[in-house]
Amino acid sequence: MDTIRLEHTFPEVFAKRSDLKSEVWQQDVLFERGKLYLVEANSGTGKSSLCSFIYGYRQDYQGIITFDGNNIRNLRTKDWTRLRQRNLSLMWQELRLFPELTALENVQIKNRLTGFKNKKNILKWFEELDISDKLDTKVGLMSFGQQQRVAMIRALVQPFDFLFVDEPVSHLDDVNARKMADIMMEEATRQGAGVIVTSIGKHVELNYDKTLLL
Amino acid sequence: MTLVWKLLRQHISALQLAGFFLANLFGMLIVLLALQFYRDVRPVFSQEDGVINNDYIIVSKRISALGIGTSTFSEKEIRDIESQPFTESVGAFTASQYKVSCSMGIDGVANFGTQMYFESVPDKFVDTDKSQWHYEEGSDFVPIILPRSYLAIYNFGFAQSRSLPKLSEGVISMIDMTVLLRGDSKEQRMRGKVIGFTSRLNTILVPEGFLQWSNSLFAPTADNEPTRLIVEVKNPTDDRIAKYVKQQGYEIDEDKLQAGKATYFLKVMSGIVMAVGLLISALSFFILMLSIYLLVQKNTIKLQNLLLIGYSPAKVSLPYQILTIVMNALVLLIALGILLWVRSIYMNMLWTMFPNMEETSMWPAYTLGIILFAVVSVLNVLAIRRKVANCL
Repeated sequence: MDTIRLEHTFPEVFAKRSDLKSEVWQQDVLFERGKLYLVEANSGTGKSSLCSFIYGYRQDYQGIITFDGNNIRNLRTKDWTRLRQRNLSLMWQELRLFPELTALENVQIKNRLTGFKNKKNILKWFEELDISDKLDTKVGLMSFGQQQRVAMIRALVQPFDFLFVDEPVSHLDDVNARKMADIMMEEATRQGAGVIVTSIGKHVELNYDKTLLL
Repeated sequence: MTLVWKLLRQHISALQLAGFFLANLFGMLIVLLALQFYRDVRPVFSQEDGVINNDYIIVSKRISALGIGTSTFSEKEIRDIESQPFTESVGAFTASQYKVSCSMGIDGVANFGTQMYFESVPDKFVDTDKSQWHYEEGSDFVPIILPRSYLAIYNFGFAQSRSLPKLSEGVISMIDMTVLLRGDSKEQRMRGKVIGFTSRLNTILVPEGFLQWSNSLFAPTADNEPTRLIVEVKNPTDDRIAKYVKQQGYEIDEDKLQAGKATYFLKVMSGIVMAVGLLISALSFFILMLSIYLLVQKNTIKLQNLLLIGYSPAKVSLPYQILTIVMNALVLLIALGILLWVRSIYMNMLWTMFPNMEETSMWPAYTLGIILFAVVSVLNVLAIRRKVANCL
């Protein structure tokens, strides 16, 4: 998958708003593979909605979203399953980790599905993100900042053409945010993928190809 | 798979599953036991004759004390019986209109002879091997069916008082008989053989084709109105039969009607019990479905997240589907086990009471159990799949 295009897309809840000033909603926006985007937003402007529309689990939008020119409203459940395994990866703002499983299990439950990374590689990332002592700790018992790092690793253990990260560093200090950004960019570059980072203020300094105001 | 199971087994209620398990087990057991018991006990009640089916009744006219009136059925009377709502079909008895005598002997030495007569009913009323029960014109062989009571009269009355050997059905069937047919102007010698016995008809039966041929040959002018009718009824316990027979002044073999009634009630009772069993099975199915729905509801977030990180609905449904199939299979196996055990107990009792009883096959019960298992499992699997897919 090489392109994601939003044509006059906007959330249905915004339909009655006339003061919509956005560089994404109701515009023609093109995300390309291999490029790095920053979507800056104030809270309540539909940042997480954007992720959920593109990731296919909410359809309450107007306009058209296409992958390589194909309207995603025509995709079926099995297409979405395949896309989520091979083409799209999303790190949710709310993380969506399983609190009953340990940090390592949370990553493995994804990696066993894709078989993408070996255990050594995963352990290396835990090490680099400074949470290797939490491998066998239940995620429910970890701090949100630690959970964010686990969620990032889980987002990386699959092949993807586009990686969406929704406020990835909101609870991280600058040093750890930097480390996480490096790991993310290293993997994205290796895969030649496009990366879309969203932020409501704090964001990691990266060499963005384009910044959009939501 | 193990990690997914680790997630999804949370909130599984052992109590609910145990409730389903027991309810389903009882339901399945009752259904299978009712079916098997019905099949095992039915021969005791109905005492299959082997020659004449139990749904047939024999109708004759009452002979008045003075012998007034006709004892034969006219065309009109036969049509009237045919038009009754309880009647499936009617066949007329045809009697031989000529003289018959018969002698029996072993190795061609005749040592026992008697005058007799023949009767026939349409061949479709005779439940016997069709390859034996027919007559080919020109052949000198005729198959015969005797009433069991004749054999009893010989064995317990005649043979006893004259110190003659007692004969079993098997021995009789091996004896060659010489049958002499004598009309007004002709006579013919034929070979006869007893091919079966019946308790239902007090007459000596030969194939209908044989009587038609022999009557036309030896008594071409004789009038041939039947004195007895064989009636196939839809339900031998129908009280309209008894009413009609009484109203017309006919007679029927009452005790066979009683046996039919007993069989009918056995059938009805087994049907009711089976229906109750099926109802319990259906209710247990709903318990399981509710339990699974509750489980899915409680684990909605986990299921959603699994689907969102790329698990297919099929893969996420699988643990619950396996759970239900394993439980259904266990229910089937345990139900069959208990069925075998219970059956061995009552069959021992039945065999003590009726040593000659033949063992009935258990395949219908097995098949029904497997069908129930399959139907319930398929419905479970589909419902779970739908419920899980709707999570997102």
